[in-house]
Amino acid sequence: MRALAGPAMLLVMVGGFLVFRLTSKEEAPSRDFIALEFAGADSDRTGSCYSLETVLLVSREGNPSRTWTSPREDVWTLELDDVVQGHGGPIRIFQTFTFEKVDELVRLTSVEASTGYLTGVEQNIDQFVRAAQAQRSTPVDRCLEPGATGYLFAPRR
Amino acid sequence: MRIASLLAALLVLLPLTACQRSLEEHEVLEFIEKADNAARKRFAPEICELRGENFELHLTFQGHEQQVEPTELTIDRKLFCKEAGKFSRLRQYRLERNSIDIDVANDGKTARVTSEYVETMPYYYPDMIPSTPDDFQHFQVVETTDESVVGIESGDIVFLRSDCNSSQSLVGKSSISLPYD
Repeated sequence: MRALAGPAMLLVMVGGFLVFRLTSKEEAPSRDFIALEFAGADSDRTGSCYSLETVLLVSREGNPSRTWTSPREDVWTLELDDVVQGHGGPIRIFQTFTFEKVDELVRLTSVEASTGYLTGVEQNIDQFVRAAQAQRSTPVDRCLEPGATGYLFAPRR
Repeated sequence: MRIASLLAALLVLLPLTACQRSLEEHEVLEFIEKADNAARKRFAPEICELRGENFELHLTFQGHEQQVEPTELTIDRKLFCKEAGKFSRLRQYRLERNSIDIDVANDGKTARVTSEYVETMPYYYPDMIPSTPDDFQHFQVVETTDESVVGIESGDIVFLRSDCNSSQSLVGKSSISLPYD
């Protein structure tokens, strides 16, 4: 019995360390989730031809702190938080986007933001998609084919 | 084997001893000195590690334009640490502490520290992108009353919360001599 005390204690320590590592890790969506095609703002929620990863990357302004949380399965919320220098002093600015996977697309379902930012879902979708177009970002595979269509997407000839 | 088991047990129990630790006034003063020096170095990791897991900063800032209402913001540790990173861009910075008052709670678990600081650093207008760190016209002098609560976390003294009330004034660049460091 006494011979097992050492290994048992070691097991407790290793277990504790693993639990700490697993619980302290910051949450983030999987590669599969952010690689999904971003849905447009039309009634059919047509795919925009750009992945969620692309639209988030091209719409990045400044260097905000980014926090992902998942309120439930297939739903992720991204909070962008920053402090900027205003004329009256430092101001905290934030934007919170909630994305939901529906079939093989990811939809923007809600937006919260500090004063000065758009809070409409459709307006933000358009802003995301137009930013990707303006940057000539690479579309998702299905839109690389000639004649492919997508929300606000000009088909390739 | 018996010694190994004892050592392992001690290692496991070590974090629990922190719960029993009690704050002493001189320890808190040393901690504040350390925090002030970290700020003077403008080295974000060092500034950041002195803040507790659930640290929160509440800042009320009266800008140099007195007719503009003061701004107020509350930020958590993550955003605070990110902001500390911006601090390293400054090439001229002075931090002076004018006063300090330390009040250790009866249970010795926390202490309330009230200090008054004066910071002097370049002022970059919000709408301008400086081409060099020296591209500014005024120094800003920021006077702050800082009311912080410090406590023990994982055996170390850390800031748990800070409430800062700051007031900014501008002075001509040529009227202050502030060395580069």
